[in-house]
Amino acid sequence: MADGSKVLDVAGVSKRFGDLEVLSDISFQVAKGETVCVLGPSGSGKSTLLRCINWLERPDAGQIYLTGTEIGVTGAGIVMSDRELSRLRTRIGMVFQHFALWPHLTVLQNLMEAPIQVQKRPSAEVRDEALALLAKVGLSDKRDAFPAKLSGGQKQRVGIARALAMRPDLLLFDEPTSALDPELVGEVLVVMRELAHEGMTMVVVTHEMGFARDAATRILFLDRGRVVETAPPERFFSAPETERARQFIQRYAGHVANGGCRT
Amino acid sequence: MTGGDILAILQGAVVTVTLSLTGILIGLPIGLSLAVLRWADVPVVARIVTVYVSILRATPLVTLLLLLFFALPNIGIAIGPISAAILALVMNTAAFNCEVWRASLMNFPRDQYEAAQSVGMGAGLRFRRIVLPQIVRSSLPGLVNEMSLLIKVTPVLAVVGVVDITRAAVRIGAETYDPLPPFLVAVALYAPIVFVLVSLQRWIERRQAMAEAAA
Repeated sequence: MADGSKVLDVAGVSKRFGDLEVLSDISFQVAKGETVCVLGPSGSGKSTLLRCINWLERPDAGQIYLTGTEIGVTGAGIVMSDRELSRLRTRIGMVFQHFALWPHLTVLQNLMEAPIQVQKRPSAEVRDEALALLAKVGLSDKRDAFPAKLSGGQKQRVGIARALAMRPDLLLFDEPTSALDPELVGEVLVVMRELAHEGMTMVVVTHEMGFARDAATRILFLDRGRVVETAPPERFFSAPETERARQFIQRYAGHVANGGCRT
Repeated sequence: MTGGDILAILQGAVVTVTLSLTGILIGLPIGLSLAVLRWADVPVVARIVTVYVSILRATPLVTLLLLLFFALPNIGIAIGPISAAILALVMNTAAFNCEVWRASLMNFPRDQYEAAQSVGMGAGLRFRRIVLPQIVRSSLPGLVNEMSLLIKVTPVLAVVGVVDITRAAVRIGAETYDPLPPFLVAVALYAPIVFVLVSLQRWIERRQAMAEAAA
């Protein structure tokens, strides 16, 4: 089942919260360099799916493989210890809806914390790389600021840089622009587009149809915890196969037409 | 009141400060440990901690102290007045500290914790590097409040024969039949002790604020 040529292989993942079945039998794969956008109405399980991938949420059934290594369960079929799980998580970056920066650390310290403490890389090297990442997201001048002093768009760009500082194989975005003022969405999407073009492997849960249309290599459409449709963006947006996808796209049609404003 | 009397009260002050400081320094980390056990919901242990905290918070310090001092020897554990006093202070303040720490832990933003998990920090690192520095800050006012209460409750330690500031003053008043001067000295001594503590809190808070303003 595990296909090592894929960065991510999700096989039959299910998750329920009490009586509510949030995910049922989700399967998909992500190849290196792909940007998969997960779309779907709210409550369709998109965020839960993302959180299951790095085991922030423990799936009830199914397997998740990162370059062929199963996440969360050891070869002997036992649930991984915190230590084993942590080692795998270093290879999966995550960007949170509400940024989740550490407020007691400066911007630069937010970036350097895990590479030094977790990966034990030399601090001079980590610092150089962190400064380069801050330059890349356009925040060199904010390196000594505390997160409280930043705008939402700046915070999210720091969040992306923090995830990149770990040199991950896979980057997960959990509605990265949903908490932002409309005029700040663009600056975050610019950074994400650049990453996509550079060949970063990404899974992006989003409501940004414009981004999904021109940055995704593939769309995964979720409804009520199931993968209803999966297709390249051109086909998904112009000729969706299912009625549910058609309705969903129609609702966002105006936004797509004028270049993908947020909803 | 003679110079010797004042010296006696100052000796009492040394006892008050020493016992308070010992109680605070031991009670603080124990309170934190208890709070973490409850927060992490460690099976069985968390229940025991809950019961311990409820009982200790409902027990007057003086009653606890008398129980330890008079009952422990009955079951074969010899205990002196100073040891009994320290033990009672620690047991009492740890329970109250636990609740202060726990309130901070419960208010800790979940997504910050998950962000630490997502970059591969293990439980120890997450706590030490991300949670602890922030809960120390949010717990500080509550903890200093509990510390100043502890200092002011030390006169009850006199019931087992510990001679603190107040006990020394009572003795001198009884000998000289002039209780006003020794009690004025006693009152004047508590204020600076508590003041030092509050100043320390202010200093820590100011230092943090300055570090952030500089950025």
